Amino acid sequence: MTAGPPYTIVLGVIGADCHSVGNKILDAFFTDAGFRVVNLGVMVSRDEFIDAAIESDARAILVSSLYGHGEIDCAGLRERCIERGLDSVLLYAGGNLVVGKRPFAEIEAKFKAMGFDRVFPPSVDLHAAAALLRADIEEAVHART
Amino acid sequence: MPAPRWAVCVDIGSTFTKGAVFGFEGGEGRIAARAEAPTTPGDLARGFEAVRRELFARARANEPGFAAEDAIVRFSSSARGGLRIAAIGIVPDLTLAVARLAAASAGGKIVKSFAYTLTADDVAALETLDPDIVLLTGGTDGGDEKHNLANAAALAGARISSTIIYAGNRTARDAVAGILAGKRCIAVDNVMPEVGAVRVEPAREAIRRVFLDTIVEGKGLAALVDSLGVAPKPTPLAVFELVRALSEECPEWRDVCLLDIGGATTDCYSAVEPFRGEPSVVLHGIREPRLTRTVEGDCGLRVSAEALFESGRALIERELGSPPLEILAFAVYIGLVARYPAYLAAEARETRFDAIMARTCAALALRRHAGVLRTVYTAGGKAWVQRGKDLRAVRRVIGTGGYLARIAEEDFLARALAALVPEPEERFLVPEAPVLYADRNHVVPLIGSLAAEYPREAARLLARSLRPVAGDVAQERNRRP
Ligand code: B12
Repeated sequence: MTAGPPYTIVLGVIGADCHSVGNKILDAFFTDAGFRVVNLGVMVSRDEFIDAAIESDARAILVSSLYGHGEIDCAGLRERCIERGLDSVLLYAGGNLVVGKRPFAEIEAKFKAMGFDRVFPPSVDLHAAAALLRADIEEAVHART
Repeated sequence: MPAPRWAVCVDIGSTFTKGAVFGFEGGEGRIAARAEAPTTPGDLARGFEAVRRELFARARANEPGFAAEDAIVRFSSSARGGLRIAAIGIVPDLTLAVARLAAASAGGKIVKSFAYTLTADDVAALETLDPDIVLLTGGTDGGDEKHNLANAAALAGARISSTIIYAGNRTARDAVAGILAGKRCIAVDNVMPEVGAVRVEPAREAIRRVFLDTIVEGKGLAALVDSLGVAPKPTPLAVFELVRALSEECPEWRDVCLLDIGGATTDCYSAVEPFRGEPSVVLHGIREPRLTRTVEGDCGLRVSAEALFESGRALIERELGSPPLEILAFAVYIGLVARYPAYLAAEARETRFDAIMARTCAALALRRHAGVLRTVYTAGGKAWVQRGKDLRAVRRVIGTGGYLARIAEEDFLARALAALVPEPEERFLVPEAPVLYADRNHVVPLIGSLAAEYPREAARLLARSLRPVAGDVAQERNRRP
């Protein structure tokens, strides 16, 4: 189902989060969908995401958080990207981003305010997410040229 | 390759040229003769010839069966302070770390490292250093190009005579080669083709070729290469290949470290599985190869004594205890030996100071060579993140270089390692209760120049010539059930 150039994306589970099953699924899915996936696995720090994105010239960073501390772990990621020269990278977040059941719109607004471009619940349709990702990357590429 | 009957091995060091004849007749290797002479910096061949003549004479006297025609000659050189390399990468923990690893394992001395894009000051520093090699890395294959292009442009305009080895993102390779067309430039495979993946062999091979082409020029080495028909190896590369041979050929030496404490640097080599892969431990950062070398320029017993006092201050002060006069006396001694590197300790107190310095060198070099394990408290319990190489499985450490080859201190390693105090929730992945084996016969690095061609003979000869330092043997015996 490859469509278009193999854009590079960085993938990982942020913070002290060990949930590895979804991460492996995302790796396989996005690779299949024609992306070059740099998968950092679980327990990834903010700087490790950024280091990998710099070296691989990634277009997007896909952050997962399953264990409920996503809000604390993800705070400041956008600012740190800018500080380290990654000013145009796309930031996506998904998983069980906060503790307990809260309306998704509220979570989405919170993460967007933190500088994330897109936010997904665990129930996300990955095909739709991949299509959005490709479209967002292409738009960013065109905006640059 | 069948073993030669005799091997004449010579190492041209910065002050002494040392050699030995090894006999391999009848299976087990042995030392048939040794000799040394001062190195002759203007024309290295003169010192070399003096040693070779002496070796032949002694071998003939010691061994009735010795015949020069049956002997192969191999040699290594660290004259001129070895290969000076500047390493450039993008992210300090990724390509720059791998570039440093590649440079050190090729036997180079890293004179300076640069991350991200070179500034005007960086270029000025490079011009002052004018290293033998600039190792330019950065980006995964298909990854970042802009840093490499900018750095190549900066290098193109720099007044340096260095050979530039490009071992970065292969997508940028042609563009980088084009920018550097006016310089001596070699392009090889990327040292980090994917994030965290380490591939240093092609860069190491390129560095070795540059060593042959540029270091061998002049100083009389070229004539020597012509007459002998073999090229020298950088001394640390000879040792590197020896550690590899030992680990691969002798099962009891599979997991091993080699420490070489000198006047100016401390070198640490290790051959061991870098990551055990226990459950609930994740490896982050680069995955180091089984065989690595690191060099500490601030850990030395003479020339670098002052740098050591600075870097190892906390460890040294703990060893010296509280009397302020001791610290003062130590500082005076440091100043003395740094200025007169040939100085030998003359009294008990000075011997103690030398021992403290040596333990500090060993502690710092092992700690930096080894990785770190950090505890992470997750909501579901404890987990660990490992960075760097796990040396815990190493049970045998070889000590070489003037100080360690002669060491008598029974608990040298135990004391050195005990001085390391990690931060809370941190653990240094240094060897656990290792036994020190001293290179009593001073065969490292000499046998090293045979290790790539005759790994089995070189490894066995080394293994038989190493002696466990007395007290450590008892410790090893106690460990056995
Ligand atoms: C298996 C499991 C574990 C295992 C993990 C084993 C392992 N190696 O992975 C263990 C037992 C170790 C564990 C521990 C904990 N867990 Co748990 N765990 C689960 C469980 C049952 C399944 C997770 C799973 O594998 N799902 C299957 C995968 C395929 O789905 P997924 O992870 O959600 O990922 C998909 C989507 O979320 C999405 N996605 C994820 N990220 C992103 C990013 C982007 C950009 C996009 C587009 C999509 C996307 O795509 C993924 C693939 O389809 C869930 C409950 C559940 N049913 O989800 C709880 C759950 C995640 N755990 C939970 C908790 C609280 C914990 C613990 C804190 C305490 C505990 N209960 O034991 C610890 C934390 C440990 C740690 N440090 O991380 C809570 C989290 C609550 C919250 N967020 O508010 C959950 C939701 C259970 C619950 N309802 O309470 N857990």
